[in-house]
Amino acid sequence: MRLRIYNALAMSAMLVASARAEVPSDIGGGPSVATLAVPASKHWVWVNDFVFPHMADGMAYLVDGDSGRYLGTLSTGYGFARVVLSRDGKMIYSPETYFSRGTRGKRTDVVTLYDPGTLKTLGEIAIPPKRSSNLPMMANSVMTDDDRFLLIYNFNPAQSVTVVDTTTRKFVREVETPGCALIYPTGPRSFFSVCGDGSLSLVELDDAGAAHQKRTQPLFDMAADPVTEKAVRIKDSWYFVSFAGRIYPLKVGAQQAVLGTSWWLSSEAERKAGWRSGGVQQLAADPQKSLLYAIMHRGGLETHKDPGKDVWVFDVSTGKRVQQFALKSLASSIQLSSDEKPLLFSIFIEAANLDVYDAASGKWLRTVEHVGTSPTIMVTP
Amino acid sequence: MNWLDVLSESSTRALARRTSRRSALAGLGSFLLGAATLPLLPVARGADSKPAGAAPAADPGDPQSCDYWRYCAIDGFLCGCCGGSKSMCPPGTDMSPVTWIGTCRNPSDGKDYVISYNDCCGKSSCGRCFCNRNEGDTSLFQPGQSNDYNWCSGNAKANIPYHCSTARIVGTAK
Repeated sequence: MRLRIYNALAMSAMLVASARAEVPSDIGGGPSVATLAVPASKHWVWVNDFVFPHMADGMAYLVDGDSGRYLGTLSTGYGFARVVLSRDGKMIYSPETYFSRGTRGKRTDVVTLYDPGTLKTLGEIAIPPKRSSNLPMMANSVMTDDDRFLLIYNFNPAQSVTVVDTTTRKFVREVETPGCALIYPTGPRSFFSVCGDGSLSLVELDDAGAAHQKRTQPLFDMAADPVTEKAVRIKDSWYFVSFAGRIYPLKVGAQQAVLGTSWWLSSEAERKAGWRSGGVQQLAADPQKSLLYAIMHRGGLETHKDPGKDVWVFDVSTGKRVQQFALKSLASSIQLSSDEKPLLFSIFIEAANLDVYDAASGKWLRTVEHVGTSPTIMVTP
Repeated sequence: MNWLDVLSESSTRALARRTSRRSALAGLGSFLLGAATLPLLPVARGADSKPAGAAPAADPGDPQSCDYWRYCAIDGFLCGCCGGSKSMCPPGTDMSPVTWIGTCRNPSDGKDYVISYNDCCGKSSCGRCFCNRNEGDTSLFQPGQSNDYNWCSGNAKANIPYHCSTARIVGTAK
């Protein structure tokens, strides 16, 4: 028996030796872990997943839209919303929630800092354990335009905004925003929240992170034509879409907000046929070309969150539709890359296949299968 | 809780609209108007409230089915499929005292009822009988009627994971 073992070992050694002659050893250099280019390609996309069946296990996935290659993963805790990328590409910020025993025990909220080249944690910033847990939105967590302050929406159910200084890597303060939700940046140090009566809370931060606040008159009519939270930003305006499918352009800065003339995504005949926009991330914007992309479907007013299989494209300077195309699969979220020849990404929260299109032509390029469990918000560099 | 809002056609589109969104808004309009100006949102505290003498004489339908009349604005896993019932949390969980509300029409008496969708909290997602219907649902800007918040967050009794959702009658809508 012992002899046979020796023989087997000897044979193995010969096999290894002969194999080495053809294929180099993978273990000669020790442990090996992939790294990523910094800054990221403009054609990469972060797919954020709140993993509805197992919400303590939120995740974010990085995919290359050009090759369809899955590049890496972040593990991001309970009730995860989305990552926030620094503009210089050198840091990934992730507001996260943990319980000390996984699904029970003491709750801790942190902003985790990830190295974009290694996807390893670089540190944590403790924040108040109040981060809102909701169907994820882009407006849950945002960066001021100067990249100085990271802002996180709180709901417990008192509403406020956590301010984190990215320079000192410290929690600075909480800004109370009673009756007002989510965060939309408007400038280097300013943002607004939308209030339940259709008014806005305009907030400006000074160098120390102190807040100067102002409440506008009601601008949106929340009873007659309520808007969704899924607005997109083009230059100095935010574009909100109503449940009914009307676009409300909001020109807004640190001190004032002006609601422009609204326009419909659909013609009267199309509205009668039930065409409206819906989804989780149902709008995407190309600020360079002033284009707004919308996922469209047919259904009643209560289908304002339903997915769609069509994308309509509008020039926001005229409110005219300039293009429309059918998607390969049903989508609840779309996002554009930020370069001059953008890709359009689409995904459905119930079927985690990421589709990639040429945004200009609507031509389907590729599908990346099995990207997560309940994908919600997509973020591009 | 509710968040998974996107729902399959079977969970949303196939369901007849039994209650108009306008009737829901009309019934709760004054309530929400007040809500917008207060620092703390007076969203329905269904766990602490007693049905205001409004239990319907007939309560037709299957509470384990998404088309049951009380679920017109629900979004989550049905507690009746998870060891609880349409109005009771499963063993070992805590009921969130703060929640969102909907207005649903009972097909047996034609009356509109205010429904409190209290979440049950403290265990990972039940994962059974997912149901999402958005009749009268509002955005996150109007929390009291939004089914996109996780109502297991934000208070000492239930600042813990979401498990499933109940649908409890609060009273009739005027």
